[in-house]
Amino acid sequence: MGAVRAEFLKLKRSLSWTVVVLLPVAMVIAGAVNTLVSGSRPEDGWHTMWLRSVVFHGLFPLAIGIGILASLVWRVEHRGGNWNALMSGPTSALRIMASKAVVVAVLAAAMQAVLLLTVVVIGVVVFAIPGLPPGRYVGVSLLIMLACVPVAVLQSGLSMLMRSFAGPIAVAFLGAGAAVVLLLAGLDAAVFVIPYALISRATQLGTGTFGDTGAITGGDVASIVIGALVLTAALTTATTQILDRRDTRT
Amino acid sequence: MANEFAKMRHLRMGLIASVMVVIVTGLSVAGAATSPAFAVPSGRSWEALLGGMSLAVPLASPLLLAVLASRQVDIEHQGNGWLLSQTSGVTPGGLCRIKLLAVGIVVAVVTILESVLVLVAGLLLGVPDRVPAGLWAGYTASVLVANLVVLALHVLLSARIDNQLVGLGIGVLGTIVAVFATALPPAMAHLTPWGYYALVAAAGYQGTQLVALTPAYGSIAALGAVAAVLFVIVTGRFDRREA
Repeated sequence: MGAVRAEFLKLKRSLSWTVVVLLPVAMVIAGAVNTLVSGSRPEDGWHTMWLRSVVFHGLFPLAIGIGILASLVWRVEHRGGNWNALMSGPTSALRIMASKAVVVAVLAAAMQAVLLLTVVVIGVVVFAIPGLPPGRYVGVSLLIMLACVPVAVLQSGLSMLMRSFAGPIAVAFLGAGAAVVLLLAGLDAAVFVIPYALISRATQLGTGTFGDTGAITGGDVASIVIGALVLTAALTTATTQILDRRDTRT
Repeated sequence: MANEFAKMRHLRMGLIASVMVVIVTGLSVAGAATSPAFAVPSGRSWEALLGGMSLAVPLASPLLLAVLASRQVDIEHQGNGWLLSQTSGVTPGGLCRIKLLAVGIVVAVVTILESVLVLVAGLLLGVPDRVPAGLWAGYTASVLVANLVVLALHVLLSARIDNQLVGLGIGVLGTIVAVFATALPPAMAHLTPWGYYALVAAAGYQGTQLVALTPAYGSIAALGAVAAVLFVIVTGRFDRREA
């Protein structure tokens, strides 16, 4: 736990909260302004709100958001003499990778919570949609949070390898784009191979958009959960191995 | 200037630039080719390809321009290249201007390449109508101006604010603005540089009909002029700061 606490401490002044709060809020507001300006109301109530915020958010902004968070978490290690301190410290590679990934995953989960909250607030206050959103949105949000974990591990690994802040984010953008294309082509098995496909799939669950059928089946949920667990385990092992073979640099 | 191009090699700027070309060209052609009208050769139109580009450019450009600017500028923060340049006679503001020029050349090549590749794809797909050469050139030039203005903004942001999160974050927000600006009234689209991607769109839907549009040449020219003046003023102020 000490390593995780240390990681959160390092993030204190890093402005990471702006990503966690601003990105989801901006997404929902952009969707809402768009609807207001076109003079219409969300015809299908909560479903339209969900489509215009969460599903769009899952197409690529979510992956980029996680990429930015991972870059922030690793930024300190690439500055000054911190990399050598990290290499010569007593903390094992597994603990470093795991605690960094945990921090990114927790922030990504917080981002999802902010998104859900903003959707509800805008839906009630701006559009006066009757009733509260269906409870399954909470369940889907939990699944999205789980799906974010392997992406967090992957982005954390990329940010460990690349000293540049922006490089891993470009990879996230591309990966998310590739995932959307694969899912559009009906290759649902991509969720077991590409983490970005996992978040796209999870955000589209039960909406009937892209490759989704509209119904949430046990099989869909199971494939997301299994995909998340398998990819997290595989990527954590791989990134830990890579970090273990790194050395100090002069 | 040659220095900046030398720096690009290790920053893999060429790779990122190629990615930009592939994404925009791929999305434009894929978007047009998968539309039902494109299934029959006689239904193929240049409007569909221009419309595809008018969607793909605002989707892919803002973030990748932010990445290009951030990478080129961030190395100066990492090795305190500002001080090094200043002691060798290039002021921080001057360095920013050189960076904009060097990356701007790359962006110009990217923009023109995107446009030409989509045009070639149209010719290969056998679009029956004549090529709307004037509109095509006008649209490409307008997108180039919008791209350069966004790039200039990001060079300044990355140089002024050490934490690259800010530049990249604004790039993401810019993407959202650019994508949604097509649905905004033109007056609101004029307010941010990203809105101009929507203003210069060369084709779009009016109702359910895809029609060719005239890019807002006046607006984009004004944007370019204002941005150029601001860039000179801001980089001039950079010169007076301590390194």
